[in-house]
Amino acid sequence: MKYSVTIKHKSYVVEIEDVNARPVIAHIEGQRFEVIPDTDPVGSAGKPEPITQNPTKNKKETKEVKSFDLRKPDPNQHNSELTAPLPGTVIELFVKEGDIIEAGQVVVIIEAMKMKNSIRSTRAGKIAEVLVNPMQTVAHKQVLVKFE
Amino acid sequence: MNIAELLPGLLKGLANFTLGNAVMITVALILIYLAVFKEMEPVLLLPIGFGCLLANIPLAGMTAAEGIMGVLYNAGIKTELFPLLIFVGVGAMIDFSPLLAQPRMVLLGAAGQFGIFGTLMLAIALGFPLNQAASIGVIGAIDGPTSIFVATKLAPELLAPIAVAAYSYMSLIPIIQPPLMRLLTTKKERLIRMDYAPKPISQKTLVLFPIVLTLVVGLLVPDATPLISMLMLGNLLKVSGVVDRLSKAAQNEIINIATLFLGLAIGATMSAAAFLNFDTGKILVLGLIAFVLDTVAGLLFGKLMCVLSGYKINPLIGAAGISAFPMAGRLAAKTANDEDSHNFILMHAMGANTAGQLGSVIAGGILLSIVSKLV
Repeated sequence: MKYSVTIKHKSYVVEIEDVNARPVIAHIEGQRFEVIPDTDPVGSAGKPEPITQNPTKNKKETKEVKSFDLRKPDPNQHNSELTAPLPGTVIELFVKEGDIIEAGQVVVIIEAMKMKNSIRSTRAGKIAEVLVNPMQTVAHKQVLVKFE
Repeated sequence: MNIAELLPGLLKGLANFTLGNAVMITVALILIYLAVFKEMEPVLLLPIGFGCLLANIPLAGMTAAEGIMGVLYNAGIKTELFPLLIFVGVGAMIDFSPLLAQPRMVLLGAAGQFGIFGTLMLAIALGFPLNQAASIGVIGAIDGPTSIFVATKLAPELLAPIAVAAYSYMSLIPIIQPPLMRLLTTKKERLIRMDYAPKPISQKTLVLFPIVLTLVVGLLVPDATPLISMLMLGNLLKVSGVVDRLSKAAQNEIINIATLFLGLAIGATMSAAAFLNFDTGKILVLGLIAFVLDTVAGLLFGKLMCVLSGYKINPLIGAAGISAFPMAGRLAAKTANDEDSHNFILMHAMGANTAGQLGSVIAGGILLSIVSKLV
């Protein structure tokens, strides 16, 4: 899908491979960008409104997506904390209290079934508390870090 | 003494060297190359390749009944000893808790066996007799020891091409499966996230599972008993927690020694006379079809479960319902994670994958019992 975006009187053509994919892959003037949208509605004051270049198509997509419950925030996933998406052992920890991290940044690596899984942050923010230690086993949905 | 008279004796090895031997030595070198430089199932393809090399050295006598390869073959393959010892090790490496936590994954383990029966029918259509067709179909179990076990009983003459097909395609699963996964599922299906909130599995359940399964499968499908019981023995060693030494031996020494000798002995059956024929080519093609059919059937069944569950099940885990443990499970999880870096379906995929491991053994046993009565 191609979008036209005007920033400071200069217009850019942004080609997005798939808006539902994470990270969103965008091509702008031959350069490839990986963008992870901040899903936190509170911290997204500067988030641009969805571009409606093709209203009918967009409408359809929203409806489809809704039926899969994809964009509904997980009721157990509080935005103030990052939880383990699968059970396993924390083998590496990349953040400490007070770190300011970006959405999509790898926070911990959880090993499960002998496979290393990079757990990325779902939002940007400052880490208030780290609740796990390396080599600790974690249960599904156990809180890993809390945000301020 | 005349040197001219001695010469033929000295060169008799070369004199007996045929074009077929040259071709098979090339095949051996390709297998060794793939193992060493492409790391394709090196643990198996390296010994198979070297065994093949030895089998094509004329007059060496290694593959004769009293040669080392002959002894290994008669002691470990003909008796089914090596595949069974490998299964003790595989059992000690498998963790059945994701399956026990989500028993419905058993269905996917059954769907992933479609390739066995689909390929069997294709093989019959191509003119293979039933015993050979069944052995070729078992390539679709995507499980080396099971394929070798069944082929040894039903059609030992096809053992080498079947083992080579099974192990080489298994190493190609990361190439065969992902395109099919993407082709048969929509992006939205691949994005489905799945909750993993199982009841904790008690130690008692983990210990009882291998014992009960051995008894149930053994009584229902006696032909599957050797395979399933050795798999479950290995698992019992692991989950019991009291025989750590035996569990470690099964996971390391026992499976490693058995794998080395199994690979060598299988490779040594790849003599030019036995391997270079049209049937081998057909088996290699049918084996690939078996792998594709398994994956397709698993994915389609995953899609059915997806719809029936109200889009709560990611159909990618269907592709993990084949044996190939743990590669297929990891691939399904990786494909979902590539699409959405916050999506982890690993535990579900592993549940389906262990179900596939059990399914392939049971399917192999069922096939064995049906076909051995018919031929």
